[in-house]
Amino acid sequence: MSIDLTLVGQFIVFVTMLLLLKKMLYVPLNDAMEARSKKIEEGLAAADAGLEAKAEAEAAVEAQLAEAKAKAQEIIAAAEKRAAEVKEESMVKARNEAEAIIDAGKEEIFAEANRARQSLREEVADIAILAAEKIVDAELDAKKHAKLIESVVEKGFNAA
Amino acid sequence: MAAEEHSGGIAEHLQYWTYSFQQDIPVDERNPFMQIHVDTMLVTGFVACLILGFAFWFKSRIQAGVPTGVQNAVEALVGFVNDTVRDNFPVHNPIIAPLALTVFVFIFLCNFFDILPAYFLGHVAHALGAPAFRPVPTNDLNLPVAMALTVFAMVIYYELKLKPVHFMKDLLLQPFANLLLMSKNPVVKLLGVLLIPLNLVLKLIEEIAKPLSLSFRLFGNMFAGEVIFLLIASLLLVDNFADMASVGGAISEIMGLLVGLGWSFFHMFIGLLQAFIFMILTVVYLSIAHQPAEH
Repeated sequence: MSIDLTLVGQFIVFVTMLLLLKKMLYVPLNDAMEARSKKIEEGLAAADAGLEAKAEAEAAVEAQLAEAKAKAQEIIAAAEKRAAEVKEESMVKARNEAEAIIDAGKEEIFAEANRARQSLREEVADIAILAAEKIVDAELDAKKHAKLIESVVEKGFNAA
Repeated sequence: MAAEEHSGGIAEHLQYWTYSFQQDIPVDERNPFMQIHVDTMLVTGFVACLILGFAFWFKSRIQAGVPTGVQNAVEALVGFVNDTVRDNFPVHNPIIAPLALTVFVFIFLCNFFDILPAYFLGHVAHALGAPAFRPVPTNDLNLPVAMALTVFAMVIYYELKLKPVHFMKDLLLQPFANLLLMSKNPVVKLLGVLLIPLNLVLKLIEEIAKPLSLSFRLFGNMFAGEVIFLLIASLLLVDNFADMASVGGAISEIMGLLVGLGWSFFHMFIGLLQAFIFMILTVVYLSIAHQPAEH
Protein backbone atom coordinates (compact mmCIF):
# COMPACT_ATOMS: atom_id res chain seq x y z
CA MET A 1 0.00 0.00 0.00
CA SER A 2 2.21 2.76 -1.25
CA ILE A 3 1.89 5.73 -3.51
CA ASP A 4 4.37 5.53 -6.34
CA LEU A 5 4.66 6.08 -10.08
CA THR A 6 1.61 3.87 -10.54
CA LEU A 7 -0.33 6.97 -9.52
CA VAL A 8 0.96 8.83 -12.57
CA GLY A 9 0.25 5.82 -14.76
CA GLN A 10 -3.29 5.53 -13.40
CA PHE A 11 -3.82 9.24 -13.88
CA ILE A 12 -2.78 8.93 -17.55
CA VAL A 13 -4.98 5.85 -18.07
CA PHE A 14 -7.97 7.49 -16.44
CA VAL A 15 -7.73 10.84 -18.24
CA THR A 16 -7.05 9.18 -21.60
CA MET A 17 -10.01 6.89 -21.11
CA LEU A 18 -12.21 9.80 -20.08
CA LEU A 19 -11.36 11.82 -23.20
CA LEU A 20 -11.61 8.88 -25.61
CA LEU A 21 -14.79 7.51 -24.06
CA LYS A 22 -16.38 10.95 -24.30
CA LYS A 23 -15.44 11.25 -27.95
CA MET A 24 -16.11 7.67 -29.03
CA LEU A 25 -19.10 6.65 -26.96
CA TYR A 26 -20.78 9.36 -24.96
CA VAL A 27 -21.09 12.15 -27.54
CA PRO A 28 -22.27 9.99 -30.51
CA LEU A 29 -24.68 8.03 -28.33
CA ASN A 30 -26.02 11.16 -26.68
CA ASP A 31 -26.45 12.81 -30.08
CA ALA A 32 -28.38 9.77 -31.30
CA MET A 33 -30.54 9.78 -28.16
CA GLU A 34 -31.20 13.50 -28.50
CA ALA A 35 -32.01 13.12 -32.21
CA ARG A 36 -34.47 10.36 -31.32
CA SER A 37 -36.02 12.41 -28.54
CA LYS A 38 -36.35 15.33 -30.94
CA LYS A 39 -37.91 13.08 -33.56
CA ILE A 40 -40.35 11.66 -31.02
CA GLU A 41 -41.20 15.18 -29.82
CA GLU A 42 -41.75 16.28 -33.41
CA GLY A 43 -43.85 13.19 -34.06
CA LEU A 44 -45.96 13.86 -31.00
CA ALA A 45 -46.28 17.53 -31.96
CA ALA A 46 -47.28 16.50 -35.49
CA ALA A 47 -49.81 14.05 -34.06
CA ASP A 48 -51.21 16.80 -31.84
CA ALA A 49 -51.28 19.19 -34.80
CA GLY A 50 -53.02 16.48 -36.85
CA LEU A 51 -55.64 15.97 -34.16
CA GLU A 52 -56.09 19.72 -33.91
CA ALA A 53 -56.39 20.02 -37.69
CA LYS A 54 -58.89 17.14 -37.70
CA ALA A 55 -60.96 18.85 -35.02
CA GLU A 56 -60.76 22.12 -36.94
CA ALA A 57 -61.75 20.36 -40.17
CA GLU A 58 -64.67 18.68 -38.42
CA ALA A 59 -65.76 22.02 -37.01
CA ALA A 60 -65.42 23.59 -40.46
CA VAL A 61 -67.46 20.76 -41.98
CA GLU A 62 -70.09 21.23 -39.29
CA ALA A 63 -70.19 24.96 -39.96
CA GLN A 64 -70.36 24.43 -43.71
CA LEU A 65 -73.13 21.88 -43.27
CA ALA A 66 -75.08 24.28 -41.07
CA GLU A 67 -74.49 27.07 -43.59
CA ALA A 68 -75.56 24.82 -46.45
CA LYS A 69 -78.66 23.79 -44.52
CA ALA A 70 -79.51 27.42 -43.82
CA LYS A 71 -78.89 28.30 -47.45
CA ALA A 72 -81.05 25.40 -48.59
CA GLN A 73 -83.82 26.58 -46.26
CA GLU A 74 -83.47 30.06 -47.70
CA ILE A 75 -83.61 28.71 -51.25
CA ILE A 76 -86.66 26.58 -50.42
CA ALA A 77 -88.37 29.54 -48.78
CA ALA A 78 -87.48 31.76 -51.74
CA ALA A 79 -88.72 29.10 -54.16
CA GLU A 80 -91.95 28.70 -52.22
CA LYS A 81 -92.37 32.44 -52.19
CA ARG A 82 -91.61 32.63 -55.90
CA ALA A 83 -94.04 29.79 -56.58
CA ALA A 84 -96.73 31.62 -54.66
CA GLU A 85 -95.94 34.77 -56.60
CA VAL A 86 -96.00 32.91 -59.91
CA LYS A 87 -99.27 31.31 -58.89
CA GLU A 88 -100.70 34.67 -57.94
CA GLU A 89 -99.40 36.24 -61.14
CA SER A 90 -100.87 33.39 -63.18
CA MET A 91 -104.20 33.76 -61.46
CA VAL A 92 -104.22 37.50 -62.01
CA LYS A 93 -103.19 37.05 -65.62
CA ALA A 94 -105.81 34.37 -66.18
CA ARG A 95 -108.41 36.54 -64.54
CA ASN A 96 -107.42 39.49 -66.71
CA GLU A 97 -107.41 37.34 -69.82
CA ALA A 98 -110.79 35.96 -68.90
CA GLU A 99 -112.11 39.45 -68.34
CA ALA A 100 -110.58 40.54 -71.63
CA ILE A 101 -112.19 37.58 -73.40
CA ILE A 102 -115.50 38.40 -71.75
CA ASP A 103 -115.15 42.05 -72.70
CA ALA A 104 -114.25 41.10 -76.26
CA GLY A 105 -117.22 38.75 -76.35
CA LYS A 106 -119.47 41.42 -75.02
CA GLU A 107 -118.17 43.87 -77.57
CA GLU A 108 -118.61 41.33 -80.33
CA ILE A 109 -122.11 40.57 -79.14
CA PHE A 110 -122.82 44.25 -78.96
CA ALA A 111 -121.41 44.76 -82.49
CA GLU A 112 -123.27 41.75 -83.78
CA ALA A 113 -126.44 43.07 -82.22
CA ASN A 114 -125.80 46.43 -83.77
CA ARG A 115 -125.15 44.81 -87.13
CA ALA A 116 -128.30 42.73 -86.78
CA ARG A 117 -130.22 45.76 -85.71
CA GLN A 118 -128.89 47.69 -88.69
CA SER A 119 -129.73 44.86 -91.03
CA LEU A 120 -133.11 44.54 -89.53
CA ARG A 121 -133.58 48.23 -89.76
CA GLU A 122 -132.72 48.16 -93.45
CA GLU A 123 -135.00 45.22 -94.05
CA VAL A 124 -137.75 46.89 -92.09
CA ALA A 125 -137.16 50.02 -94.12
CA ASP A 126 -137.44 48.07 -97.33
CA ILE A 127 -140.52 46.33 -96.08
CA ALA A 128 -141.95 49.63 -94.95
CA ILE A 129 -141.29 51.15 -98.34
CA LEU A 130 -142.91 48.23 -100.02
CA ALA A 131 -145.77 48.43 -97.65
CA ALA A 132 -146.09 52.13 -98.10
CA GLU A 133 -145.99 51.74 -101.88
CA LYS A 134 -148.74 49.30 -101.67
CA ILE A 135 -150.68 51.51 -99.31
CA VAL A 136 -150.31 54.70 -101.17
CA ASP A 137 -150.08 53.04 -104.51
CA ALA A 138 -147.45 55.37 -105.36
CA GLU A 139 -143.92 54.43 -105.99
CA LEU A 140 -141.52 56.00 -103.65
CA ASP A 141 -138.05 56.85 -104.68
CA ALA A 142 -135.74 55.11 -102.13
CA LYS A 143 -132.93 57.59 -102.44
CA LYS A 144 -135.22 60.54 -102.44
CA HIS A 145 -137.26 59.53 -99.44
CA ALA A 146 -134.52 57.82 -97.41
CA LYS A 147 -134.61 60.34 -94.65
CA LEU A 148 -138.26 59.96 -94.25
CA ILE A 149 -138.04 56.22 -94.23
CA GLU A 150 -135.30 56.19 -91.59
CA SER A 151 -137.27 58.39 -89.33
CA VAL A 152 -140.25 56.09 -89.74
CA VAL A 153 -138.14 53.06 -88.99
CA GLU A 154 -136.54 54.78 -86.00
CA LYS A 155 -139.85 55.51 -84.61
CA GLY A 156 -140.94 51.98 -85.25
CA PHE A 157 -137.93 50.63 -83.42
CA ASN A 158 -138.29 52.96 -80.57
CA ALA A 159 -141.87 51.95 -80.37
CA ALA A 160 -140.89 48.26 -80.50
CA MET B 1 1.37 -21.76 14.04
CA ALA B 2 -1.31 -22.38 11.45
CA ALA B 3 -2.54 -18.86 11.97
CA GLU B 4 0.96 -17.56 11.41
CA GLU B 5 1.17 -19.56 8.19
CA HIS B 6 -2.17 -18.19 7.08
CA SER B 7 -1.26 -14.63 7.92
CA GLY B 8 2.01 -15.14 6.09
CA GLY B 9 0.05 -16.49 3.09
CA ILE B 10 -2.36 -13.57 3.14
CA ALA B 11 0.47 -11.06 3.41
CA GLU B 12 2.20 -12.78 0.51
CA HIS B 13 -0.94 -12.51 -1.63
CA LEU B 14 -1.28 -8.85 -0.77
CA GLN B 15 2.04 -8.09 -2.41
CA TYR B 16 2.12 -6.23 -5.73
CA TRP B 17 4.10 -7.15 -8.77
CA THR B 18 6.41 -4.14 -8.67
CA TYR B 19 9.06 -2.87 -11.02
CA SER B 20 11.60 -0.34 -9.76
CA PHE B 21 13.08 2.30 -12.03
CA GLN B 22 16.19 2.27 -9.83
CA GLN B 23 17.42 -1.21 -10.61
CA ASP B 24 21.06 -0.16 -10.22
CA ILE B 25 20.53 1.01 -6.61
CA PRO B 26 20.38 -1.49 -3.71
CA VAL B 27 16.81 -2.35 -2.67
CA ASP B 28 17.07 -0.72 0.74
CA GLU B 29 18.23 2.59 -0.73
CA ARG B 30 15.66 2.84 -3.49
CA ASN B 31 13.10 5.63 -3.52
CA PRO B 32 9.74 3.86 -2.93
CA PHE B 33 8.04 6.33 -5.26
CA MET B 34 10.20 5.33 -8.19
CA GLN B 35 8.47 2.03 -8.76
CA ILE B 36 5.38 0.90 -10.59
CA HIS B 37 2.79 -1.79 -9.85
CA VAL B 38 2.87 -3.84 -13.02
CA ASP B 39 -0.24 -5.86 -12.11
CA THR B 40 -2.32 -2.74 -11.49
CA MET B 41 -1.11 -1.17 -14.72
CA LEU B 42 -1.79 -4.37 -16.68
CA VAL B 43 -5.32 -4.82 -15.33
CA THR B 44 -6.30 -1.15 -15.69
CA GLY B 45 -4.76 -1.11 -19.16
CA PHE B 46 -6.76 -4.23 -20.00
CA VAL B 47 -9.97 -2.72 -18.63
CA ALA B 48 -9.33 0.57 -20.47
CA CYS B 49 -8.66 -1.32 -23.73
CA LEU B 50 -11.82 -3.38 -23.14
CA ILE B 51 -13.95 -0.25 -22.62
CA LEU B 52 -12.40 1.68 -25.50
CA GLY B 53 -12.53 -1.36 -27.78
CA PHE B 54 -16.19 -1.74 -26.98
CA ALA B 55 -16.74 1.99 -27.57
CA PHE B 56 -14.95 1.75 -30.94
CA TRP B 57 -17.03 -1.29 -31.94
CA PHE B 58 -20.23 0.27 -30.65
CA LYS B 59 -19.74 3.69 -32.27
CA SER B 60 -20.38 2.39 -35.79
CA ARG B 61 -23.53 0.58 -34.65
CA ILE B 62 -25.25 3.49 -32.99
CA GLN B 63 -28.58 4.20 -34.58
CA ALA B 64 -30.86 7.15 -33.96
CA GLY B 65 -33.92 5.01 -34.71
CA VAL B 66 -35.34 2.30 -32.47
CA PRO B 67 -32.44 0.94 -30.36
CA THR B 68 -31.84 -2.80 -30.26
CA GLY B 69 -29.69 -5.27 -28.36
CA VAL B 70 -26.54 -3.80 -26.82
CA GLN B 71 -27.61 -0.23 -27.57
CA ASN B 72 -30.58 -0.67 -25.25
CA ALA B 73 -28.29 -1.60 -22.36
CA VAL B 74 -25.76 1.16 -23.08
CA GLU B 75 -28.53 3.73 -23.46
CA ALA B 76 -30.03 2.62 -20.15
CA LEU B 77 -26.64 3.15 -18.48
CA VAL B 78 -25.99 6.51 -20.17
CA GLY B 79 -29.56 7.60 -19.42
CA PHE B 80 -29.08 6.67 -15.75
CA VAL B 81 -25.83 8.68 -15.57
CA ASN B 82 -27.43 11.62 -17.40
CA ASP B 83 -30.38 11.61 -14.99
CA THR B 84 -28.05 11.46 -11.98
CA VAL B 85 -26.02 14.39 -13.28
CA ARG B 86 -29.13 16.37 -14.24
CA ASP B 87 -30.63 15.87 -10.77
CA ASN B 88 -27.49 17.08 -8.99
CA PHE B 89 -26.02 19.68 -11.29
CA PRO B 90 -27.20 23.30 -11.38
CA VAL B 91 -25.80 24.14 -14.84
CA HIS B 92 -24.87 22.30 -18.02
CA ASN B 93 -21.24 21.27 -18.30
CA PRO B 94 -20.47 18.88 -21.19
CA ILE B 95 -17.63 17.08 -19.37
CA ILE B 96 -19.48 16.13 -16.18
CA ALA B 97 -21.72 13.34 -17.53
CA PRO B 98 -18.88 11.65 -19.51
CA LEU B 99 -16.70 11.93 -16.39
CA ALA B 100 -19.41 10.33 -14.25
CA LEU B 101 -19.92 7.59 -16.84
CA THR B 102 -16.19 6.88 -17.06
CA VAL B 103 -15.83 6.79 -13.27
CA PHE B 104 -18.78 4.44 -12.85
CA VAL B 105 -17.90 2.02 -15.65
CA PHE B 106 -14.18 1.98 -14.93
CA ILE B 107 -14.53 1.39 -11.20
CA PHE B 108 -17.27 -1.19 -11.65
CA LEU B 109 -15.25 -3.20 -14.17
CA CYS B 110 -12.13 -2.97 -12.02
CA ASN B 111 -14.13 -4.16 -9.00
CA PHE B 112 -15.58 -6.94 -11.13
CA PHE B 113 -12.21 -8.70 -11.10
CA ASP B 114 -12.93 -9.48 -7.47
CA ILE B 115 -15.19 -12.27 -8.67
CA LEU B 116 -12.11 -14.30 -9.59
CA PRO B 117 -11.02 -16.74 -6.86
CA ALA B 118 -8.76 -15.00 -4.37
CA TYR B 119 -5.56 -16.90 -5.03
CA PHE B 120 -6.20 -17.81 -8.66
CA LEU B 121 -4.37 -15.07 -10.55
CA GLY B 122 -1.58 -15.09 -7.97
CA HIS B 123 -0.95 -18.78 -8.68
CA VAL B 124 -1.16 -18.19 -12.44
CA ALA B 125 1.28 -15.30 -12.16
CA HIS B 126 3.66 -17.44 -10.07
CA ALA B 127 3.46 -20.18 -12.67
CA LEU B 128 4.37 -17.67 -15.37
CA GLY B 129 7.30 -16.38 -13.38
CA ALA B 130 5.81 -13.17 -12.01
CA PRO B 131 6.55 -12.51 -8.33
CA ALA B 132 2.93 -11.60 -7.46
CA PHE B 133 -0.34 -10.51 -9.00
CA ARG B 134 -3.19 -8.46 -7.50
CA PRO B 135 -6.17 -8.74 -9.86
CA VAL B 136 -8.32 -5.92 -8.45
CA PRO B 137 -6.77 -2.53 -9.29
CA THR B 138 -9.10 -0.64 -6.95
CA ASN B 139 -7.32 -2.45 -4.10
CA ASP B 140 -4.26 -0.48 -5.09
CA LEU B 141 -4.42 2.95 -3.47
CA ASN B 142 -2.81 4.50 -6.54
CA LEU B 143 -5.91 4.08 -8.70
CA PRO B 144 -8.49 5.59 -6.30
CA VAL B 145 -6.07 8.40 -5.43
CA ALA B 146 -5.37 9.15 -9.12
CA MET B 147 -9.10 9.35 -9.85
CA ALA B 148 -9.84 11.36 -6.69
CA LEU B 149 -7.01 13.79 -7.48
CA THR B 150 -8.39 14.25 -11.00
CA VAL B 151 -11.76 15.12 -9.50
CA PHE B 152 -10.12 17.36 -6.89
CA ALA B 153 -8.13 19.18 -9.60
CA MET B 154 -11.34 19.74 -11.56
CA VAL B 155 -13.10 21.04 -8.44
CA ILE B 156 -10.29 23.55 -7.76
CA TYR B 157 -10.21 24.54 -11.44
CA TYR B 158 -13.95 25.27 -11.56
CA GLU B 159 -13.89 27.05 -8.18
CA LEU B 160 -11.12 29.35 -9.44
CA LYS B 161 -12.69 29.77 -12.87
CA LEU B 162 -16.30 30.39 -11.87
CA LYS B 163 -15.99 32.25 -8.55
CA PRO B 164 -12.34 33.06 -7.79
CA VAL B 165 -13.03 35.87 -5.31
CA HIS B 166 -15.61 33.85 -3.42
CA PHE B 167 -13.30 30.84 -3.32
CA MET B 168 -10.34 32.83 -2.01
CA LYS B 169 -12.55 34.55 0.58
CA ASP B 170 -13.89 31.16 1.57
CA LEU B 171 -10.36 29.83 1.85
CA LEU B 172 -9.05 32.68 3.97
CA LEU B 173 -12.00 34.03 5.92
CA GLN B 174 -14.17 31.03 6.77
CA PRO B 175 -15.27 30.03 9.36
CA PHE B 176 -13.93 32.59 11.90
CA ALA B 177 -12.49 35.67 10.29
CA ASN B 178 -15.44 36.82 8.24
CA LEU B 179 -17.63 37.84 11.20
CA LEU B 180 -14.72 39.34 13.09
CA LEU B 181 -13.59 41.43 10.12
CA MET B 182 -17.10 42.83 9.76
CA SER B 183 -16.89 44.24 13.30
CA LYS B 184 -16.26 47.96 13.78
CA ASN B 185 -14.08 47.31 16.78
CA PRO B 186 -10.42 47.48 15.60
CA VAL B 187 -9.26 44.91 18.16
CA VAL B 188 -11.84 42.38 16.96
CA LYS B 189 -10.87 43.21 13.40
CA LEU B 190 -7.19 42.55 14.20
CA LEU B 191 -8.21 39.25 15.78
CA GLY B 192 -9.99 38.42 12.53
CA VAL B 193 -6.83 39.13 10.54
CA LEU B 194 -4.78 36.99 12.92
CA LEU B 195 -7.22 34.11 12.44
CA ILE B 196 -6.75 34.04 8.66
CA PRO B 197 -3.92 31.42 8.79
CA LEU B 198 -6.06 29.21 11.04
CA ASN B 199 -8.94 29.53 8.59
CA LEU B 200 -6.62 28.63 5.74
CA VAL B 201 -5.42 25.52 7.55
CA LEU B 202 -8.97 24.43 8.43
CA LYS B 203 -10.24 25.07 4.92
CA LEU B 204 -7.31 23.22 3.36
CA ILE B 205 -8.00 20.26 5.61
CA GLU B 206 -11.65 20.40 4.57
CA GLU B 207 -10.76 20.49 0.90
CA ILE B 208 -8.08 17.81 1.09
CA ALA B 209 -10.45 15.58 3.05
CA LYS B 210 -12.65 15.34 -0.04
CA PRO B 211 -10.23 13.44 -2.30
CA LEU B 212 -8.88 11.54 0.69
CA SER B 213 -12.31 10.29 1.75
CA LEU B 214 -13.23 9.62 -1.87
CA SER B 215 -10.18 7.48 -2.53
CA PHE B 216 -9.87 5.76 0.85
CA ARG B 217 -13.55 4.78 0.89
CA LEU B 218 -13.18 2.87 -2.36
CA PHE B 219 -9.76 1.50 -1.49
CA GLY B 220 -10.79 0.46 2.04
CA ASN B 221 -13.95 -1.32 0.94
CA MET B 222 -12.28 -3.24 -1.85
CA PHE B 223 -9.16 -4.01 0.13
CA ALA B 224 -11.20 -5.27 3.09
CA GLY B 225 -13.25 -7.38 0.72
CA GLU B 226 -10.15 -9.01 -0.70
CA VAL B 227 -8.71 -9.63 2.76
CA ILE B 228 -11.94 -11.34 3.80
CA PHE B 229 -11.78 -13.48 0.66
CA LEU B 230 -8.24 -14.47 1.57
CA LEU B 231 -9.29 -15.16 5.16
CA ILE B 232 -12.16 -17.37 4.03
CA ALA B 233 -9.88 -19.20 1.67
CA SER B 234 -7.11 -19.54 4.26
CA LEU B 235 -9.32 -20.66 7.13
CA LEU B 236 -11.87 -22.88 5.39
CA LEU B 237 -10.31 -24.26 2.24
CA VAL B 238 -7.95 -27.20 2.73
CA ASP B 239 -4.48 -27.24 1.23
CA ASN B 240 -4.14 -30.77 -0.10
CA PHE B 241 -6.11 -33.73 -1.34
CA ALA B 242 -5.37 -35.83 1.76
CA ASP B 243 -7.14 -33.31 3.98
CA MET B 244 -9.99 -33.02 1.49
CA ALA B 245 -10.60 -36.77 1.71
CA SER B 246 -11.31 -36.58 5.47
CA VAL B 247 -14.83 -35.78 6.73
CA GLY B 248 -13.74 -32.60 8.48
CA GLY B 249 -11.73 -31.52 5.48
CA ALA B 250 -14.66 -32.11 3.12
CA ILE B 251 -17.08 -30.20 5.37
CA SER B 252 -14.60 -27.36 5.70
CA GLU B 253 -14.07 -27.28 1.93
CA ILE B 254 -17.82 -27.18 1.23
CA MET B 255 -18.34 -24.50 3.86
CA GLY B 256 -15.44 -22.54 2.44
CA LEU B 257 -16.91 -22.70 -1.06
CA LEU B 258 -20.38 -21.71 0.13
CA VAL B 259 -19.16 -18.84 2.31
CA GLY B 260 -16.76 -17.73 -0.42
CA LEU B 261 -19.55 -17.80 -3.00
CA GLY B 262 -21.87 -15.85 -0.69
CA TRP B 263 -19.21 -13.27 0.05
CA SER B 264 -18.40 -13.10 -3.65
CA PHE B 265 -21.96 -12.11 -4.51
CA PHE B 266 -22.11 -9.67 -1.63
CA HIS B 267 -18.79 -8.18 -2.65
CA MET B 268 -20.01 -7.75 -6.22
CA PHE B 269 -22.83 -5.69 -4.81
CA ILE B 270 -20.31 -3.74 -2.73
CA GLY B 271 -18.26 -3.14 -5.89
CA LEU B 272 -21.31 -1.81 -7.72
CA LEU B 273 -22.25 0.33 -4.73
CA GLN B 274 -18.74 1.76 -4.43
CA ALA B 275 -18.68 2.61 -8.14
CA PHE B 276 -22.00 4.41 -7.72
CA ILE B 277 -20.84 6.23 -4.56
CA PHE B 278 -17.62 7.39 -6.23
CA MET B 279 -19.63 8.60 -9.23
CA ILE B 280 -22.28 10.43 -7.20
CA LEU B 281 -19.68 12.09 -4.94
CA THR B 282 -17.74 13.20 -8.01
CA VAL B 283 -20.87 14.82 -9.36
CA VAL B 284 -21.74 16.37 -5.99
CA TYR B 285 -18.25 17.85 -5.43
CA LEU B 286 -18.24 19.33 -8.93
CA SER B 287 -21.80 20.51 -8.45
CA ILE B 288 -20.76 22.41 -5.29
CA ALA B 289 -17.96 24.01 -7.30
CA HIS B 290 -20.52 25.13 -9.89
CA GLN B 291 -22.99 26.54 -7.34
CA PRO B 292 -23.34 30.31 -7.73
CA ALA B 293 -21.58 32.33 -5.01
CA GLU B 294 -23.79 33.57 -2.17
CA HIS B 295 -23.52 37.26 -1.43
